[in-house]
Amino acid sequence: MIRYIVRRLLWMVVLLFLVSAITFLIFYALPSADPAVLRAGRQPNTQLIAHIRHQLGLDRPWYVQYWHYIKRLVLHFDFGYSYQNLISVRRQIFERLPATISLTLGAAVLWIVVGMAVGTISAVYRGRLVDRVAMTGALVGISAPVYLLGLVGLYFFANDTGKIHVFPGSGSYTGLTVNPVKWFTSLLLPWIVLATTQAAIYARLLRANLIDTLSEDYIRTARAKGLSEPRVVIVHGVRSAITPVVTAAGLDVGILLGGAILTETVFNIPGVGHLAYESIKNSDLPMIQGTVLLGAFFIILLNLVVDVLYAFIDPRVRYA
Amino acid sequence: MRQGDIPRRPGRTTERIRMRTFLVWMSIALAAAAALLVAGCGGTAGKKGGTLTVLSQGDVDSLDPGYQYYQYDYEALSQPAQRTLYGWKPNLRKPSPDFAASMPKLSNGGKTITIKLKSGVRFSPPVNRVATAADVKYAMERDFLPQVANSYAPVYYGDIVGVKAFTDGKAKGISGIQAPNPTTLVIKTTKPVGVLTTANALTLPGTAPVPKEYAQKFDKGKTSTYGQHVVFTGPYMIPNDRSGKITGWTPSKRLELVRNPNWDRKTDYRPAYLERIAFLAGNDLSLATRRILSGNGQISGDFAAPPVADFKLALEHYPSQVSFTPGDSYRSITMNTTVKPFDNVNVRKAVAAVIDRNALVATRGGSRIGPVATHYIPPFLPGFQEAGGSKSPYDYMSQPNGNLALAKRYMRKAGYASGRYNGPSLLMVGDDSAPAKNTGEAVQSQLQQLGFKLNYQQVPHEVANSKFCGVPKQKVAICPNWAWGKDFYDSQSMIDPTFNGKNIVPSNNSNLSELNDPKLNAAMDRAERIPDPAGRAKAWGAIDKAVTGLAVQVPWIWDNDVNLRSKNVKAVTNLFNGTWDVAFTSIK
Repeated sequence: MIRYIVRRLLWMVVLLFLVSAITFLIFYALPSADPAVLRAGRQPNTQLIAHIRHQLGLDRPWYVQYWHYIKRLVLHFDFGYSYQNLISVRRQIFERLPATISLTLGAAVLWIVVGMAVGTISAVYRGRLVDRVAMTGALVGISAPVYLLGLVGLYFFANDTGKIHVFPGSGSYTGLTVNPVKWFTSLLLPWIVLATTQAAIYARLLRANLIDTLSEDYIRTARAKGLSEPRVVIVHGVRSAITPVVTAAGLDVGILLGGAILTETVFNIPGVGHLAYESIKNSDLPMIQGTVLLGAFFIILLNLVVDVLYAFIDPRVRYA
Repeated sequence: MRQGDIPRRPGRTTERIRMRTFLVWMSIALAAAAALLVAGCGGTAGKKGGTLTVLSQGDVDSLDPGYQYYQYDYEALSQPAQRTLYGWKPNLRKPSPDFAASMPKLSNGGKTITIKLKSGVRFSPPVNRVATAADVKYAMERDFLPQVANSYAPVYYGDIVGVKAFTDGKAKGISGIQAPNPTTLVIKTTKPVGVLTTANALTLPGTAPVPKEYAQKFDKGKTSTYGQHVVFTGPYMIPNDRSGKITGWTPSKRLELVRNPNWDRKTDYRPAYLERIAFLAGNDLSLATRRILSGNGQISGDFAAPPVADFKLALEHYPSQVSFTPGDSYRSITMNTTVKPFDNVNVRKAVAAVIDRNALVATRGGSRIGPVATHYIPPFLPGFQEAGGSKSPYDYMSQPNGNLALAKRYMRKAGYASGRYNGPSLLMVGDDSAPAKNTGEAVQSQLQQLGFKLNYQQVPHEVANSKFCGVPKQKVAICPNWAWGKDFYDSQSMIDPTFNGKNIVPSNNSNLSELNDPKLNAAMDRAERIPDPAGRAKAWGAIDKAVTGLAVQVPWIWDNDVNLRSKNVKAVTNLFNGTWDVAFTSIK
């Protein structure tokens, strides 16, 4: 197991290098705004633009720029400075990470709990009214884009722009250490919105797997041995059917930790996703690079965690 | 930004349009008069105290007054937190002494400018001492330091004696900026410079005093870090720690202003009613609009106009909370005179004639967003009347609904016998997001009436300017989303950067049409040296008229800025900046 984890961690480093190189290449290959011109303002002379280009290192070939970037990153864990405001990328990302983690983990708990409960009930009561209602609801949830749900939620339920004043509105996010109660209430609506689509997907995924699992021979054996129905379904059924759900959860949480761009933008949560969106708009390569690497890191790491979890969840999986 | 089209009403006559234009102007005049009444200068006083929240999309560009240039920088920092030499009272369209004690005194044929300064203006903690003329000298010198990256200093201060020696590293300071005593500043120029003699360019944020002994250490190195340790002379400051490091700003998230304990009310024209001001960035325009209108203690920040649907909602349900201010800017379609067939003036006139400018105005929200433009200098700027006022002497700019028959006549004059273009397709580059995207698409469809085949590329706004339209070697034929605004109430800043041949540069070019007419260039160089405002207005108005006669661009709107406030906010508009002035605003 240890050798397996070490091997995967080494691969993670290789993958992160590849991701960073591809991001660099994309930035240079596709038409993006000239950062030196953007930084120079409205009527700069050519000397000023040349100076800023030199100062940002943009007058060097892309591979030299990339080499310097990687050197700083590996030796000093330095992601460079934003082209936009000349402030450390690492500082800005780490300032915003708590908001993204708060949003993602809270929503993940919600969608996993709701998704699994609905999926299990639907599978057990397959074809009955409760199943049909749950699956229709899931279909609606899957079909509604997050930004639409967010806007609708705010227009109806926000305490500033809404018709019924239930939740704090856009821009109300407060840090956990600043005020835990406000932190919780400000995230309630974003959690619900972000979790709705995911919960619907998870419910359908678990239902399909659980229906297959419940028709397996060992489930019949368990029932024949006289085990209670909840024990059969939850201990023997759900445990086997949950593997694809865990895979999906690992990926989804990894992606969202890299930045829930739409949710953070609609609710004006100062997280990494919002930062990524702003940096793309401003052609701010160091910031784009930092947020992309963070996203890739979380995805790869969560994949590894999921693979390790398999060994504990599914008795058929063993790592040599 | 969401954008919906407001359909044009069918069968509108020219008279109706004139009437509507008249009504728009009347309402702007009434709004300006109302602003005058409530403004702090001579208006009713506001209530002291309270917290104001400003909702915006983006953030300020920099905390360093040497770098600040754009509208939101003025609103959030330059106006409420710094004392520039001259400033802009909310209801005036001419500079007023701010750190200066009086208007500049001219001698030596306008080449020596003497400015008396107020005493008793102090820097915020940790500097705490009285600001002097030497601090303004250092501020203006650092505007030329590459690590500060100020973009307007070479344009407006470039003719000060000794600038070249300083920028070449041959002198430690600029010899033409002198501080003979703490309250006297003398600026000497190599020739009369109108934007300095009228004090217009002395209102720019780069004239706010900077304490050399404190800031110099931050100005060393590749990039100045003074912005992260900036000190203030205005009524407000950003909270900092004991060493001066700024603590009240989280980039792209929140900027906070609190009272500057060293500010002396007696030295300032700002009432500064509010106790605290929070500028919140990253807001969705639509949600921010609704929050402001239905909430308390909030105003709009950096968005010039809300999305069209929300704009309509605001006008229907919250009309008293919406304010219109002339934006002192224009939007135009540019044609590149170095790309065929736009090297032919008659083809350009044909394009100007066929463009339905009313339809383009509708793509941004209709006539409340601004009147149809007939030339470049906007209303309220000196030279507007001299350039023709609201009417145009040119037939191709006289019909805001467009005139296809006239356009075809110009095409025939240009040698296209059928009255339609039959050459190769032309590159047009425009914005990819509304409302500019909708404007570009309307231009495309209108040009097709004259047979123009367009290779129309839609890219993000920053890309359109920095990689295509502002780069002459890209040979972009048409840019449908060009806009330009004033730096101050002097029309040099509207005309010279965009039409003087000397301003054609390889990147970030603002002369998009690449107009390089020796006679016009010479006229602009002469106009720059005229010291008296009336003479300048006449000269720049005449140049505007001549440029419009060459039809290198099709100006189609003079923008209004739309500002929103919550019901309990007694907000005051600053005419110069087109936004709310938080130093005059109060909570009811």
